[in-house]
Amino acid sequence: MRVVSASCKVFATGSVRMAPQAFQDEVVSALGEAFNNTVIHAYRGRDDGRVTIEIEPRTDVLEIRVIDDGTSFDPASIPDPVLGDLPESGMGLFIIRSFMDEVLYRSGPPNVLLLRKSLLTPPLLGSTPAPPADR
Amino acid sequence: MKSTIQRDTDVTTLRIEGELDALSAPILRPTIDTIIGDNPKLVVVDVSALRMIDSSGVGAIVSLYKRLRASGGSVRLDGLGGQPLAVFRVLKLDRVFNVG
Repeated sequence: MRVVSASCKVFATGSVRMAPQAFQDEVVSALGEAFNNTVIHAYRGRDDGRVTIEIEPRTDVLEIRVIDDGTSFDPASIPDPVLGDLPESGMGLFIIRSFMDEVLYRSGPPNVLLLRKSLLTPPLLGSTPAPPADR
Repeated sequence: MKSTIQRDTDVTTLRIEGELDALSAPILRPTIDTIIGDNPKLVVVDVSALRMIDSSGVGAIVSLYKRLRASGGSVRLDGLGGQPLAVFRVLKLDRVFNVG
């Protein structure tokens, strides 16, 4: 995740539309949820499994692929949570969809979750300075 | 993730530092159980040193909020910023906790 964070910061540096920190916050949030979903759902009941994360910077767009050999799923079958009900789970895919500009899924094997985020899209909700890192 | 509890007469402060995620949120749950068991009127969750949160971590804080509210107490979030604030905003929880 630290590699992805650093990649985001480097990639977004100089962007006039989106602050590097906001870009990083949103991509890292989405990727964290994608990784968790893969481990928890795709590899449910398995002691081990491989998750490959590919990061590809393109012109104004960062493309990330999360690749696994676990059980596939149909993202379209998963509804958004009812936020007013204050859910305690089931928010991961919503966070991914909210923070990324494009979310595509191809059932495998291997399963490939493709996430795209453009530097030309303003941050969804803004950002504030991050708290200090662990001492 | 590191958590500490400070108890005053009617206020309990829960300080959460580091990363609250799918791995660490279950570790926080017994701490939340302990806080709820004390039946405080107000719990201040100090997240000023919380660097990162995911939906599992959010779920733990929402659980604290709902359980405390059910027993007549309330929760206040202090120091929310950076990535955690972005996640709370996208889930519209900034309105629930009146932050940001």
